[in-house]
Amino acid sequence: MDNVLVLKDYKTVPDIVHEYEPTLKFGHIPLVIDNGSYQCRVGWSINDEPHLIFKNLIARPRKDRCKKDAEPPVTPPIQIGNDIINIEAVRFQLKTQFDKNVVTHFEVQELVCDYIFSHLGLDSDGCVPHPIVMTEAFVTPNYSRQLMSELLFEGYGVPALSYGIDSIFSFYKNNIGDSGLIVNCGFHTIHIIPVIRGKVISEHARRINLGGSEIISYLHKLLQLKYPVHVNAITMSRIEEILHEHCSIALDYQDEVKKWANPDFYDMYVKKIQLPYVQNTSSSTLTAEQQKERKKEMARRLLEINARKREERLAEDEEQLQQLLSIQDLIEEGDTDEFEEAIKTFDIKSYADLQRQIANVQGRIDKNKQRIAAAANPEEVEVRPSGRMQPPQDPEAFQTWLAETRAKYSEIVSRREARRARRAAMVRRRTAAAAERMRVISRLAAAGDEFGNQDSDWDVYKSISREADSDSDADGERLLELEEALREHEPAPSSSLHHQLHLAIEPYRAPELIFQPSMMGNPEAGLAETMEYVFKHFSAEDQLLLANNVFLTGGCSQFPGLKERLERELLEMRPFQSTHKVVMAGDPSLDAWYGARDFAGSNDFESCCITKEDYYEMGGEYLKEHHASNKYYRSPPPIVDNTLAPAGDANVVKEEIVVDC
Amino acid sequence: MTVESERACCFKTENKFIVKSGCKKRMWRSLKQILAADRVLPWPEDAVLYYSINAPPTFKPTKKYSDISGLPAPYMDRHSKLYYSNAEEFATVRNLPMDITAGYLQLRGATTIVG
Repeated sequence: MDNVLVLKDYKTVPDIVHEYEPTLKFGHIPLVIDNGSYQCRVGWSINDEPHLIFKNLIARPRKDRCKKDAEPPVTPPIQIGNDIINIEAVRFQLKTQFDKNVVTHFEVQELVCDYIFSHLGLDSDGCVPHPIVMTEAFVTPNYSRQLMSELLFEGYGVPALSYGIDSIFSFYKNNIGDSGLIVNCGFHTIHIIPVIRGKVISEHARRINLGGSEIISYLHKLLQLKYPVHVNAITMSRIEEILHEHCSIALDYQDEVKKWANPDFYDMYVKKIQLPYVQNTSSSTLTAEQQKERKKEMARRLLEINARKREERLAEDEEQLQQLLSIQDLIEEGDTDEFEEAIKTFDIKSYADLQRQIANVQGRIDKNKQRIAAAANPEEVEVRPSGRMQPPQDPEAFQTWLAETRAKYSEIVSRREARRARRAAMVRRRTAAAAERMRVISRLAAAGDEFGNQDSDWDVYKSISREADSDSDADGERLLELEEALREHEPAPSSSLHHQLHLAIEPYRAPELIFQPSMMGNPEAGLAETMEYVFKHFSAEDQLLLANNVFLTGGCSQFPGLKERLERELLEMRPFQSTHKVVMAGDPSLDAWYGARDFAGSNDFESCCITKEDYYEMGGEYLKEHHASNKYYRSPPPIVDNTLAPAGDANVVKEEIVVDC
Repeated sequence: MTVESERACCFKTENKFIVKSGCKKRMWRSLKQILAADRVLPWPEDAVLYYSINAPPTFKPTKKYSDISGLPAPYMDRHSKLYYSNAEEFATVRNLPMDITAGYLQLRGATTIVG
């Protein structure tokens, strides 16, 4: 068959422990961490590329799993990031520190930080002597930042820390001016952030709560529902691979969908994905002939066993008969004492009892002898009327036989369908079938004495019966027979075909969620609509600034066709003959890290850092603002509402009541 | 954590949030809880917070697509509430087992009674 796509099932390679060079150790070199909800990228500010890139996930083995195996009990280690070789094996033990795009689970974050620092080879005692640049989500809640600062300052003793927004780092890295509309498609969210003359207008920024992970789980569920047989083979990581390599954004979704409705187009462009499968060898190597042979062999062996058993039983019975007869001889000889002794050992009460036993054994022996005689010439029983249809041996004739059988099969099926439809129609009123039935009934009532002269006259009752008639019973039997014959003799289609996923609209349907969240029941506006909404908040002049510099970044912006689609959408929403431009980030996934690295290497980096003193002075949520940071709003003290809450013990009048019991 | 990994983490001042197994685990607030706590604080007028930049609800009429094929779907099966686009699909829809129809509805977020 033509171009079937094979899944590659990528495996991760565990990270090495990098060398902690003296230049790093004593150079006070900043460490740059792009802490994304999909991947974490870590590297030194003096390097060109990040040292570590891993999925921000840990796999914590379940407690009850570890105790049984070994002595002493060995706890399987917690796997982090690229340590997880086969992610599907630990799918249900995966944890991430993120809730949407915000870090909330700091125990996991601490484990990840341990992983980072140990894989960078840090060996300094009791502290991490490097300033850290860490990315955080746009408008991160203070609570989250406070815990992160607490972790880094108190847990690792870092000297200084700076937070920045990934998408803005990426924006400045690409050096496309100081105004633009950042569209950051992430793993959990899509941000639309307007930047005007170097200033982030955060009050008009918007976030769509949907991203790569939602697209993956949508496609996952969709394919599992389409192929319920392969539920277990359709794994999240395979879907991720499909999403990365075969999905794209349609320029015009409605158009695209209409194209797929055409069967010819479907056949031409459908993507076939081969799932791994195991060729079922045990049944296919045995032909029908061999199976029959094997059955015969088994039957023969059974017969032999039975015959042997019968022989044995016969011998036993004969021996017993001999003994009983000898006892009988005793009494006939008048040896009563010995007789009494003998029948005691045989558990026989009296002479009459003995007589009966002898008769019994005699009868058994006769019966057994008859059976053995019958088993000796059994062959005539073998001939069994075989209802099965036998195909001709000649291959050409076989083909025609096969075609005929198939035709018969489909004919019966369609006949049955038609009958069923007619019956269904007959039950309802005012249908043609019901009217026809009434007509037949009335004609029957008026039928004269000739009715019944011919056998076919009685068929009329079949046509007016509402229940299943004998015809359908006969057809059903015939159908079963044909089905069986076809199943047995039809050459089995290669089983690889059964393990294929056919992707038609799905590669377009899943990423379309970005523009139509309503497809998964999300009531939010899609990307284009939200952009239009953001534009509305600016003057015509600023709108033009933004529209002429729409900047696409983030891992999910790498769908082929997204740029073109956005251009089309802009053309639709912008005023007639106004200009617009969409710019792709050079490296949508890594530009945030590169941007943060450049920031860490810049001259004013020192002044943008929160120092340890700042941390203890201003509290954990404190943030020093810079060009790529969030705005810092100090958390206001909570309102103490005196009117509602009882104002303490002082005003409550206490009474002591003594209750007599 | 094993002894070995503890030795490897000599750069740490202390284990800040990692608890030994057997000790009581700290409950981490979910994002929802954090935002709910933020909401009740008297923020200044101009503060931009996580929940204030949510995308607006869509104002465009949502398009209906066939649940099983993704084609534009003008019809809905009244029995299973699934969308379908043509007679052929209707036959398929009618023969789908319950769990599959429920799965499709859930995928579309249409499991609520009101919807």
